Amino acid sequence: MNVKKLENILKEDGIVFLTYGGFLTQSLIAGMTEALEKESEDQNLGLSEANNLFTIFIELSQNMMNYSKSKKEINESFDPKGLIMVGKTENNEYYVFSQNILDKSDQSKIVPKLEEIKGMQIDDIKKRYRELRKSGKDSHGKGAGIGFYEIAKRCKNIEYSFEDINDTKRYFQFRAVIK
Amino acid sequence: MEKLFIEATQYTPEISLDLNGTISMVGKSYPENTFEFYKPIMSWLEEYFEKNKSNTITVNLEIIYFNSSSSKLFFDLFDMLDENRTGREMNVNWIYDEENESAEEAGEDFIEDFEDLNINLVKK
Repeated sequence: MNVKKLENILKEDGIVFLTYGGFLTQSLIAGMTEALEKESEDQNLGLSEANNLFTIFIELSQNMMNYSKSKKEINESFDPKGLIMVGKTENNEYYVFSQNILDKSDQSKIVPKLEEIKGMQIDDIKKRYRELRKSGKDSHGKGAGIGFYEIAKRCKNIEYSFEDINDTKRYFQFRAVIK
Repeated sequence: MEKLFIEATQYTPEISLDLNGTISMVGKSYPENTFEFYKPIMSWLEEYFEKNKSNTITVNLEIIYFNSSSSKLFFDLFDMLDENRTGREMNVNWIYDEENESAEEAGEDFIEDFEDLNINLVKK
């Protein structure tokens, strides 16, 4: 295996760190968040930007963790090949990128939410976040169903895409540039 | 009833619920299962309010960053405080670092959501 090659790719793309494959666990997420704290101290990141980075990273990685657990609970075969990474853009802004595998049926649940968010101004996102938090309408066992709004409040823009794997599975890619 | 104290972890705050009516939470909050983690705290408070109808309550919340389910949980906590505020003095301090804009904004949102609750923004 050519580690140098991998290292060069990471450097070129300004990737601060990346994790791929295996199941995400809470202790892994906490460890990575701690590493991000060190990174932000090192780079003298402002407290607001740093906290936005931590929160977005946590939302996305816990989303992935909970999703793979929910699949395991119903004994559905599941490919845990999730990827999450933190990097810097050419303008030195931090971003978080995630990719995981979703059922086609989940794609149709997520898309309306993400499209709604993409079409909204920041003040409307904040308003909607509070409405949903108050009503508890989207709450479920593990969360309040407001994670994407939490992310949208704290980033400059979000991008996402779905890629077909087969008839029932999709790659879900998501990228948020931190505010 | 006894005082409840829970030490901080990498992803949960230090929590102290005192029989004298002082409630504090300091640290980060992104448990794996937020509602389950905070269940004993919510139950403790429920019982406390049931048994103590008129004493002064001071709540100090200093949460550096938190996930969205914790945000919902804090909303539910404020809701519980709001329901138990009549007939007693109740002060909530939302404590944050002055450079931490998102924490400040979170506090402002709670003030707007709970107009009748005495929530103070406290800069560190």
